Amino acid sequence: MQNKWDIDGHAEAHTVNADTEKLKSDLLTLNMGPQHPATHGVLRVEIKTDSEIVAHAIPHLGYLHRCMEKHSENLDYRGVIPFVDRLDYLASMSMEWTYVAAVEKMLGTEVPRRAELLRILTVELQRIASHLMAFGTYALDLGSFSPFLYAFDEREKILRIFEEVSGARLLYNYIWVGGVWNDWSDEQLQRVGEFCDAFEPETDKYHALVSVNKIFVQRTADVGILSVQDCFDYGATGPVLRGSGYNWDLRKNMPYSLYPEFEFNVPVGTGEYGTIGDCWNRYIVRMLEVKESLKIIRQVLKKLEPGPVMGKVPKVLKLPKGEVYVRQECPRGELGIHLISEGGDSKEPYRLKVKSPCFTHVSMLPLMAPGQMVADFVATIGSIDIVLGEVDR
Amino acid sequence: MSHTVPHNSIRRYFGELFNAISTTLRGMWITFRYVWGVKVVSVEYPEVRIVLPERARMRLFNDAQNCISCTQCALACPVDCIYIASEKYPEGTDLKKASNGTPIRLKLTQFTIDTALCCYCGLCTTVCPTECLTHSHDYEFSQYTIDGMKYDYLAADVIAWRDRIVKA
Amino acid sequence: MLDTIAAAINAAVPGANAQVLTPEDAKLDSSVLVEALHIHAVAAHLKNSGTMNVLQCITGVDYVDYLEVVYVMAKFDPAAPAQLLLKVRLTDRENGALASIVDIYPAANFQERECWDMLGVRFNNHPDHRRILCPDDWEGFPLRKDYVAAKDYRGMQVYPEGKMNMGDREFIVRQDMIKKAQEAAAGKVQ
Repeated sequence: MQNKWDIDGHAEAHTVNADTEKLKSDLLTLNMGPQHPATHGVLRVEIKTDSEIVAHAIPHLGYLHRCMEKHSENLDYRGVIPFVDRLDYLASMSMEWTYVAAVEKMLGTEVPRRAELLRILTVELQRIASHLMAFGTYALDLGSFSPFLYAFDEREKILRIFEEVSGARLLYNYIWVGGVWNDWSDEQLQRVGEFCDAFEPETDKYHALVSVNKIFVQRTADVGILSVQDCFDYGATGPVLRGSGYNWDLRKNMPYSLYPEFEFNVPVGTGEYGTIGDCWNRYIVRMLEVKESLKIIRQVLKKLEPGPVMGKVPKVLKLPKGEVYVRQECPRGELGIHLISEGGDSKEPYRLKVKSPCFTHVSMLPLMAPGQMVADFVATIGSIDIVLGEVDR
Repeated sequence: MSHTVPHNSIRRYFGELFNAISTTLRGMWITFRYVWGVKVVSVEYPEVRIVLPERARMRLFNDAQNCISCTQCALACPVDCIYIASEKYPEGTDLKKASNGTPIRLKLTQFTIDTALCCYCGLCTTVCPTECLTHSHDYEFSQYTIDGMKYDYLAADVIAWRDRIVKA
Repeated sequence: MLDTIAAAINAAVPGANAQVLTPEDAKLDSSVLVEALHIHAVAAHLKNSGTMNVLQCITGVDYVDYLEVVYVMAKFDPAAPAQLLLKVRLTDRENGALASIVDIYPAANFQERECWDMLGVRFNNHPDHRRILCPDDWEGFPLRKDYVAAKDYRGMQVYPEGKMNMGDREFIVRQDMIKKAQEAAAGKVQ
């Protein structure tokens, strides 16, 4: 089979033969190994390059595989929540809420209004923290160090708020079946409001520092272009799909919880710099989503009223026989939880499957890589914003 | 540059050059302002330590005097890191009472938490009926061996920390 | 809505036997069950007729008598969003195979590899049929109910004695399922 990467003239070498296969030395195998500062975790990508241009990129996963799906078959439903936290550890609140929503759907529990509003508040704050992390590390991958520190300074404020409310900075175990664990005091809510006011001008600063910067634009515009049909074929969701121009956000299109009460826009890549579907547009979708999350948080703070934060849930959770598939919009895409229960007396899930958005996005790397330069490939990996805890589970 | 400006034109060349210089200077102006007058956010650990909020979930502490050996914490733990063993008191002994009034019927012979396995989720503290199992604010407990991470809450040196951690 | 989808599948793919499985509890999700042999034709029909344009996930469940593979499909259309759980059952645990749908939905590539890795379901005509999450030379299929982890892997102990409380860390093995599998194997040999 002749492909454009073969050296011209080696007609004999095209017979399939183990010895002649070894002679094909025109592609350099570059291992972007599991330990790498730009792979956002332990991702190994085997890149075959022809000088600087990538010919194939083969991701090898499984370095963080902990088989939490098997572990959850031996844990009761409340005990799974710390495990679900550790999937996408940078957006734990979203992971917890999706799993708890699946359990609550099967039980039919009523969640008090204050608990739902607090869940939305924490998940939107978590979305800001997660996008700040994505922004900071993306700028770091491309060579700039200051935006990383500015983003982490703001993220630190959010994590300290979370530590006061739930007790932990990253793996919260806060959203429980039936409500949330702890209530927020008025003083903590006021500090969230102050944080929003102080943070809004920072987003403009990031825009001026990074988004319109000529170097950043040149490295990310027209790089890693994904068409909408590619996104549908591969199952991309979240900022990756919206960066390609398709307006699809589960909070608006298949709303859950109290999201219909809130007014916010869904940012979509418009091709202001570069083409629609490239790394720059995926990046700007995340930056604009941060502003929308601030809008939602302000509306939540206005709507909050005193009340209980935990509904009536039996002490031992026993779910009916059957299954549910629940999807929610997490910062990195659409998380799906497929929960199957055996019914009867069983206190553990029969099967818990986590459909992870980052897993589907990693499968798009072999599609986007060919034809790019190795430096562009680094920009592509950063733009799809993967967290290996979620990819490998 | 706008897609309407032709690719190989002088206007594009100078336009991009101006864009490059102006955006770089804009960025440098933002970072340059950090040289003076910005409050330093770094915490000079270990000379300065942040005061943790009250709910912070650091290392567990079990007040063995108050423990009634109900083993709810061991059952709730998702990673099975609490090892409890107890035996009944001989007939006729005077039973002490725990802090919430229940008489302590079982003598605790082993209460060990393997802090290397513990995931600091806090599920065990929520189910403890006497609230003897709580989270302290201690996060500096690294050891040289994995076995050193198993804390025996009946050992004399651990009991000595009780007054520092348990609020009366 | 699932009835219309099932009817359309039955019309387009004779022999698919699409039936809607509705649980008694209304809170739970219904699904559509099709014959394993016709999964490729069913998937092609769903894609070409525009019923479901995205394959989100391929999961598998080990019910002891059969392996069930669930295709989670969705329609990303703001006017009419939809979701479908398409199920297939395989009774042959050793050599159960399905046709791969990678040529219809490229998303199936990694998802089918994971299904093979975790449950041992083969997919015919898959371009890269190897394990994805477990190491390439791992033995056994972890998400099966009768899975027992090997004691060591390449000389490394899987559960070293000194490190963990062994009684708690073994995966709970359901004795009746192992017995059933052994009986089935014994029945086949005889």
